[in-house]
Amino acid sequence: MYFRLGWRNIWRNPRRTLVIMTAVIIGVWSMIFLGSLMRGIADQMVRNGIATLTGHIQVHHNGYRNDPVIENSMTDPEAVETALKRSLPPDSRWSSRVRVNAIASNARHSSGVTLVGIDPQRETKISFIGGAVIQGRYMNPDSRNGIVVGKALVDKFKTKLGRKLVLMSRDTDGEIASRAFRIVGIFNAETEATEKRFVFVTLPAAQQMLKLEKGISEVSVTLSSQQEVHQVAHDLRAGLPSDKYEIHTWQELLPLVTAVLKMYDGFIYLWFLVVFIAMGFGIVNTILMAVFERIREFGLLNALGMKPGWIIREVLTESFFLLILGMLIGNSLGFLSFFALSGNGIDLSSLAAGMEYFGMSRVIYPIIQGKDVVMANLVVFILGLVVSLYPAVKAARFTPVEALAHT
Amino acid sequence: MTKRLAIVIIWYSLIILFAEYANAQDAQVLVQAAVNYYRGEASISTVDMTIHRPNWERTLTIKAWTKGQKDSIFTIIGPPKDKGNGTLKRGQEMWTYNPKINRVIKLPPSMMSQAWMGSDFSNNDLAKSDSIIEDYTHTITETEVHEGKKVYVITSTPNPEAPVVWGLQKLNIREDHILLSQEFYDEDLKLVKAMTGKQLRMLGGKLMPKVWKMQKADAKDEYTLLNYRELTYKQDLPSSLFTLTALRNPLR
Repeated sequence: MYFRLGWRNIWRNPRRTLVIMTAVIIGVWSMIFLGSLMRGIADQMVRNGIATLTGHIQVHHNGYRNDPVIENSMTDPEAVETALKRSLPPDSRWSSRVRVNAIASNARHSSGVTLVGIDPQRETKISFIGGAVIQGRYMNPDSRNGIVVGKALVDKFKTKLGRKLVLMSRDTDGEIASRAFRIVGIFNAETEATEKRFVFVTLPAAQQMLKLEKGISEVSVTLSSQQEVHQVAHDLRAGLPSDKYEIHTWQELLPLVTAVLKMYDGFIYLWFLVVFIAMGFGIVNTILMAVFERIREFGLLNALGMKPGWIIREVLTESFFLLILGMLIGNSLGFLSFFALSGNGIDLSSLAAGMEYFGMSRVIYPIIQGKDVVMANLVVFILGLVVSLYPAVKAARFTPVEALAHT
Repeated sequence: MTKRLAIVIIWYSLIILFAEYANAQDAQVLVQAAVNYYRGEASISTVDMTIHRPNWERTLTIKAWTKGQKDSIFTIIGPPKDKGNGTLKRGQEMWTYNPKINRVIKLPPSMMSQAWMGSDFSNNDLAKSDSIIEDYTHTITETEVHEGKKVYVITSTPNPEAPVVWGLQKLNIREDHILLSQEFYDEDLKLVKAMTGKQLRMLGGKLMPKVWKMQKADAKDEYTLLNYRELTYKQDLPSSLFTLTALRNPLR
């Protein structure tokens, strides 16, 4: 009976119903769609962060994170390797690197870069560089003087493939080490900062230049599933002497990303609340109007013996229909716009410079998380019913006498 | 009989001498000789360095000691504002001293490509001054005439793995081993900067350009002039002169 009554009542004034339903639809749509955009941005940040030479777990010599100088390199990579082989799950990958700050220069330009000596084959599966070379070629393991640099750096230096780049850094003796490399490949990265910052040479070339012998700066590990990160990090910490090595997960290695992730969680729920408050006032107002319009009617129902509780239920049913319809359409619109954009993403290249400041990508792919959708709908539904209680209670309190007096 | 033998010996030694002389004109040796000529065994000099920019110009007076090809120390002796600033170079390492903060700083790789004392010389130009001998292969490409003397134009190409940024250098060396100009080219063989010597004078007992001008190719009204006030060559200088202590306590 309530359902039929409620359903008929809301369509007694279709225009008003449509207006408030539109408000609910827009609210729900914005919650779901903007939520998925933010999740997309956050996810991309995490993935960029991990692919930009971070990996899920890193092993360093003690103190390297605080002071990434050449003295803090691991001089005995074999010990680390055995420990890794013992405690890593079989489907994980790892790669050793030399990583120091250096100065790259050619005849007209010079700039600070991070020199990364990599094992070309192992590295392909671990960080972005394997698939990022757009011009020339990726390094082969025995290229002694090949260097792979970013597109932005090439543009800045006004150089090209085959040209020379002189790198200078400090070697293990504290002397200036310099070496000439030839650009064999140019890579493209998600952010321009990455393209300007990293230059890649082979591990032996870097070790030779810096007189490191077998030494390495870091070992980066990627796991097949992110859930295992903490367990594996724990195992590694147990397997390596803690006075010589430090092990960090990506959450610790990318504190900014971790902080932004947390902030986004807060943002999303705050956004839900803000949207809801705006929507809630609309709902209260509309239902209240609908109730005041029908004072005589409610008085009559009361006089006929309808209990106040039943009247409350009837009014709540009306708002239930409003909310459910709004949510249905809002959700479908939200998912529609999500699917429309998830294919190609949203291209923000024109804003790239500003976005990069936060480590964001040029293209955002929205991501829908189940918990956000459930949360959005629950917020709208439950709070929607709660705020409708006020007009409902109001309706239940009309006495027949009042109703008669009301013209 | 003995007379004939003597003539033969003289002839032979003349031929050998001439052959050696011809050999000496080989580009490699010529460059080495030119460097030896202007550096000497050791030297003490006073130089006015004028840095010219479109809007301003300033002159520093520098006292410099050099020893061999690797070691040198510079101290600014005027104007008073900059007095006491010093640079020590040993091999490819450099240190600077600033009296205002009383600190010696070892120049890190990151500062090597920056300008030295705000001039058109970079720290690298000083630190790697002997790179022209070690990192390049020289060939004589042309000869010109300068004040009645022959001038060799030498094209120096860097060795494939040498850590130098230049694509090419061109040196003009007169037959009496005076370096007249040094031009730096990038890998597109475009001129980046050039150092030219002018006003040949007797300095420290040798004929030398008195004024050197360093100018970047793409900045017409920016240059640095080095004007030698005094230059004396020594057989040797004490090694104690080229130490960090000496850098801190200038003015000798």
